[in-house]
Amino acid sequence: MADRADKAVGPSAPPTTPHLVCRGVKKRFGGVEALRGVDFEVRRGEVMALVGDNGAGKSTLMKAIAGAYLADDGEFFLDGEPVTITTPFDAADLGIQIVYQDLALCENLDVAANMYLGTEPVQEGWHFLPRILRPLDDLLMEKKALAAIDRLKVRTLQSVRGKVGGLSGGQRQAIAIARAVGADSTVVLLDEPTAALGVAQTEQVLDVVRTLRDAGHAIVYISHNMADVFDISDRITVLRHGGNVAIYETAETTTDEIVVAMTRGLDKGANNAA
Amino acid sequence: MQPDKAIKTEAMQIDKAPSMGFADRLRVMRESQFGAFVPVLLALVAIWLYFGITEPVFLSPRNFYNLFMQSAVVGTIAVGITVVLLLGDIDLSAAATAGVAAALMAVLVTNVGLWGPVACIIAIFVGIIMGTTQGLLIAYIGIPSFVVTLAGNLGFQGLMLKILGIHGAINMRDPFVRGITTVTFPPFVGWILAAVFVVGFMYVSLRRQARRRASGLELDSSASLYGGIIFFSLLAFAAVWTLNSYRGVPLLVVLLIGMTALLSWVTTSTPFGRMLFAVGGNPESARRVGISVQRMRVAAFGLVGMMAAIGGIVGASRYASVSFNAFAGGPLLLEAIGAAVIGGTSLFGGRGSVWNAILGALVIGSLGNGLDLSGASAADKLMFSGAILLLAVAIDALSRSKEGASR
Ligand SMILES: Nc1ncnc2c1ncn2[C@@H]1O[C@H](COP(=O)(O)OP(=O)(O)OP(=O)(O)O)[C@@H](O)[C@H]1O
Ligand SMILES: [Mg+2]
Repeated sequence: MADRADKAVGPSAPPTTPHLVCRGVKKRFGGVEALRGVDFEVRRGEVMALVGDNGAGKSTLMKAIAGAYLADDGEFFLDGEPVTITTPFDAADLGIQIVYQDLALCENLDVAANMYLGTEPVQEGWHFLPRILRPLDDLLMEKKALAAIDRLKVRTLQSVRGKVGGLSGGQRQAIAIARAVGADSTVVLLDEPTAALGVAQTEQVLDVVRTLRDAGHAIVYISHNMADVFDISDRITVLRHGGNVAIYETAETTTDEIVVAMTRGLDKGANNAA
Repeated sequence: MQPDKAIKTEAMQIDKAPSMGFADRLRVMRESQFGAFVPVLLALVAIWLYFGITEPVFLSPRNFYNLFMQSAVVGTIAVGITVVLLLGDIDLSAAATAGVAAALMAVLVTNVGLWGPVACIIAIFVGIIMGTTQGLLIAYIGIPSFVVTLAGNLGFQGLMLKILGIHGAINMRDPFVRGITTVTFPPFVGWILAAVFVVGFMYVSLRRQARRRASGLELDSSASLYGGIIFFSLLAFAAVWTLNSYRGVPLLVVLLIGMTALLSWVTTSTPFGRMLFAVGGNPESARRVGISVQRMRVAAFGLVGMMAAIGGIVGASRYASVSFNAFAGGPLLLEAIGAAVIGGTSLFGGRGSVWNAILGALVIGSLGNGLDLSGASAADKLMFSGAILLLAVAIDALSRSKEGASR
């Protein structure tokens, strides 16, 4: 695996082995082959950008890693160990957190409820009841939600008891991000996390990403904004039509090269890694 | 010319501002903790005032007693239907399920000679199975709930006829079953129940507030905290006083409140309830955080089957007989769905409360009762109920489209 990584990124790569590796991931929706055997990897302490045109399969790959879709084929490795990811719980147990492109929030629930959906803390005791019928510890939920949102510095959000349906797009995005970074994780997948954000908020999110990276998380960052991608990422994986094009060292490539790879593939004979 | 124009723009502004404000306020109100109560409570008060003036006997303790008893069957089934409405599904077979459960219970007691409680438990169990079966078809085969339960409605009506046999009706004389709706508590027990309720409510509210303060969280406003305590205390004592001045607090009312409280707790304060609301609000989001949408469906339909069966038993006890027309041929199903919707539970899923179903049932019951007293024809009653239902659904759609617009 190590030599594979070296081959992919060239001699200048830091001598770290990848934390999360996907090999030959395939996913088909009826007649559409969204992923036709994609390889992907990310190391701890790095931001891996994932770029590609609309419909390239970026979100599908992220959902497969997060357990939201069951991949038709392919293998996943965490620190070299093969792992199976069939449900979102599997992914969460492995320390994989995701911010979905469409955020996946429930508008009829309040902010705190959304942040702990599926992982609600329950009160001590009540052991005679099955877990899903024990009383929720909503005070703990609220406290943790406030702390997570504080870290993101979403000043406009006044209360975590308001329904998400009444919030702005940016506030919702902040909540989705807070949900992902508030949980214990080693891998954070961010699918266009700044799409709905203003300049200052985008900078805030990029700061959070840097903090997570410096804390040793493995970050995947999807964006169509090349400036952000070059600002934040260490490496860039390019997908096209559900297949790999190449992996680039951000410091050694240019926006033009990436855009060409995204739109036309490698017919220019660029840094071929596929 | 000039003043004319000024008046016109002003009129337009005035025209616009309150209508926006009203819909907004409606939405905000419905989202607050007890807020969803308010519209249906106001409707109930308005109906009581109206009939209280036109038909003074309407406000007599005896009539209230009958009103509560009459609304109990609809209310029980409506509470169950609320659970599936929260998922964005519907159950058109609830009344027929109630009928099958009632018929089965009646046959077990009168023809087989089974002990009442055992027959009731078997009937409830069968109701759960009927609901669960429909839930499995909906969740795992993917047939819309509308279709499955419509088919279920027809099938269960047939099943009920089969169980009842050629007579078409079975009389219920079993003391246990009859007792469900005939037993009333002596007045002092009623007062004790009210006091226990008030103390419990106060303890829970105040402890919650104290714990929020201790953890430095945003507090509920004192107005809503103490207002809530005072309001529910008054309500409890007024209800007990009214019922005591006739026959005392009926066992049925206590049972119904207890069951509703339990379901309310399950749907709002447990991970199960969270998941229910999440699936109703956004099934795809719920799926992606690992909630099994299918299992939630099955569980919800199991619950509605259970509540329908309980409603059927209550009905059998109340009418002292089980007949096809009381459950299947009659308007029971539409009244139960109407009660849930009038209570403010959204047909679009993700919003509502089981308590409101009880209030909705009281609204429907009061309307029927009041119109009966004023000698209205069956035709008037039907049209009136239709209009009220339409109004409730319109309010639901309005507050929903408002949410959509803010997106
Ligand atoms: N649930 C689905 N059902 C059917 N087809 C799907 C589904 N999800 C994705 N697809 C298809 O798979 C392909 C890849 O979609 P995907 O969302 O992964 O693209 P993307 O790279 O994230 O694009 P974008 O930049 O627009 O977000 C597209 O052709 C899309 O139509
Ligand atoms: Mg995408």
